[in-house]
Amino acid sequence: MSVRNVPTYQQGAPERAPADDSDVEEEALANDYREQVQYEGGYDDELERVPSSGPQDLQAQLAAAAQPLEYQATLETKIASYDSYCNLFHFILNSDGPVDIDVPSYFWAWEVIDEFIYQFNSFCSHRQRVAFKADNEEEIMVLRENPNTWGCYSVLNVLYSLIQRSQISEQLAARKRGEDGALYAGEYGNRPLYQMLGYFSIVGLLRVHCLLGDFSLAIKTLDDIELNKKAMFARVMAAHFSTYYYVGFSYMMMHRYADAIRMFTHILIYISRTKNFQKNAQYDAITKKADQMYALVAICVAFHPTRLDDTIHTALREKYGEQFAKMQRGGPEALPVFEELFRSACPRFISPTPPDFDNPHLNVDPVEHHLAIFMEEVKNNMYSPMVRSYLKLYTTMDLTKLAGFLEVDPETLRGWLLVNKQRSRQVRHTEGGLLDGEVVNSSDLDYAMEGDLIHVSEAKVGRRLVDWYLRNLARTY
Amino acid sequence: MGVPFDYAPERPEHIDAVLNGLDRYNPETTTTFQDYVAAQCENQTYDCYANLALLKLYQFNPHLNRDETITNILVKALTVFPSPDFSLCLSLLQPHVLSPQPSANSLAEAVQKLTVLHTQLNSASYADFWATLDSDDLYADLTADVQGFEELMRVRMAVVVSQSMQSIDRKVLEQWLNVAGDKFESFVKEVCGWRVEGEKVVIPLNKENEARSSVVRENVKFDQFSRMIRRAYEQPA
Repeated sequence: MSVRNVPTYQQGAPERAPADDSDVEEEALANDYREQVQYEGGYDDELERVPSSGPQDLQAQLAAAAQPLEYQATLETKIASYDSYCNLFHFILNSDGPVDIDVPSYFWAWEVIDEFIYQFNSFCSHRQRVAFKADNEEEIMVLRENPNTWGCYSVLNVLYSLIQRSQISEQLAARKRGEDGALYAGEYGNRPLYQMLGYFSIVGLLRVHCLLGDFSLAIKTLDDIELNKKAMFARVMAAHFSTYYYVGFSYMMMHRYADAIRMFTHILIYISRTKNFQKNAQYDAITKKADQMYALVAICVAFHPTRLDDTIHTALREKYGEQFAKMQRGGPEALPVFEELFRSACPRFISPTPPDFDNPHLNVDPVEHHLAIFMEEVKNNMYSPMVRSYLKLYTTMDLTKLAGFLEVDPETLRGWLLVNKQRSRQVRHTEGGLLDGEVVNSSDLDYAMEGDLIHVSEAKVGRRLVDWYLRNLARTY
Repeated sequence: MGVPFDYAPERPEHIDAVLNGLDRYNPETTTTFQDYVAAQCENQTYDCYANLALLKLYQFNPHLNRDETITNILVKALTVFPSPDFSLCLSLLQPHVLSPQPSANSLAEAVQKLTVLHTQLNSASYADFWATLDSDDLYADLTADVQGFEELMRVRMAVVVSQSMQSIDRKVLEQWLNVAGDKFESFVKEVCGWRVEGEKVVIPLNKENEARSSVVRENVKFDQFSRMIRRAYEQPA
């Protein structure tokens, strides 16, 4: 990000290196977003204005590929849409040499990939539902005849091919080393069309792996992308928060709650700062995703009590105050709340293979499957908040006495204490790839048992003044 | 330094190559992975990332499914509790294996049985774990392929205990580890390096079980004030 979009106030200011200045960066991003907002409106005009260097119908195809299907699209339309994506990608990937065509912008490339995956996602969900209900003979017939439509192999094939053709991984790795990515781009990768499609295919893969329940591979996919505001995905609002949503969700499913919270809060703070520019149709979509992420933050914090950023904490209490309190209290009453929030905030998981039309009852909704796995973890930890709340009050405590307070037998409590202890040791990212991390004590409360005597220790956090000080200073001056 | 999730020290080169390439989606590599799982069971090594890749192949190509390999992977994942590996494996199985349908097939039955063990381990109900393991012959079949399963489980339990205890009643620990008498003493002394003192087992202090209080102070970075200082430049008062 160079000196473009230099904010006006800078002109009289002393010399500084703007490249490293996060404020300037943010300003530039904000300007990008404004552009994007305008761009949204003039979608088709924009494409027509592009000097057509390829055949005219290709331009039309490109435009169509980024255009969402109608909500009530029939099965035939969905299948036809799949075929046209196949043709388009086939043309882009397998022509003699790179296709010579200008693309309007980053947003276009993102939207093609986004819409492609969205349609894959909704087609699979729909197919599963039809098979489960087993009451629409006609659709079942059509689906049976087209087992390979929107198949996971072909979707992955498209994404991986785009990544390989553009040599985007090599480019990104080179940039990470501080070299010029263009040297590694090759014939295809030097063209914006391939570069952008390749780049967003990586983000697309993250999403597809997550939808299929392969959370570790999802995170692994992002190895070459550095998560920061300078990354290319940050230029496109939707790509920016979608990336953080899926990475955060995958972390959560890997029981790395501290990392998940870090991802969600990063992007939520970002959304709250830029929300002034989001007065359009996209705004609703963003608000909805943001609400989902707040729900996930609430879940993660229940597992891993931590101090949140003030903005996030306030918003969280506004949106999910009651649920949040219940989950933090724990116990069996909290279970339905976890379930409800997980359902509302999880991605629409899919099953990659065509369903078993002959045994409708076997086609369980994949969301239920992941929910069941997740709730297993919730149930294991549901007594931890109660144990913690008591231990906080003492420095030493007798196990049988505490068991009396909690009205459980001492051996059960001994188990709970171990559960809470092992949950407090979490893998947390420090440096390197996103899957990297160290096991650290993530709780401010720690304890050890000497026979039946529990020694409690607390890591006290000194008052945090800087945040408060800065905020108030900014307000008054 | 921690160990990245996708790293396994004993992973052979040819597996590593497959995992990093597109061959990880190639149904023909299924047998390679299956042999690798068998080798892990045999040699007491473990490679979750590779096993997940195999489960993914099964997920995409259900006709290749080998129930025995799936359950072996799950049993191996149990031996590293309380890590999330078992849940991650479950996520890649077909959704109906967890549904409480009575008409479930044998794989579903096996998976649900193993899930019971997993729950007991993660809720630290070790005595129940051993009881469940003994309660049904199916468990013996499921864990038969995994060499040293019981020993591996004891070691993991001992790890959790050493994190939370400075000393523990001998009887409780005997129940948890499901060994008694001389065998118990030799396990505790030789494998864990703990001391038995009468009716107590004393665990040496380590980083996790000392329970020392500390105060975390706020770490103030100059960067946090950059906005402030810039303002001061811009608007000379």
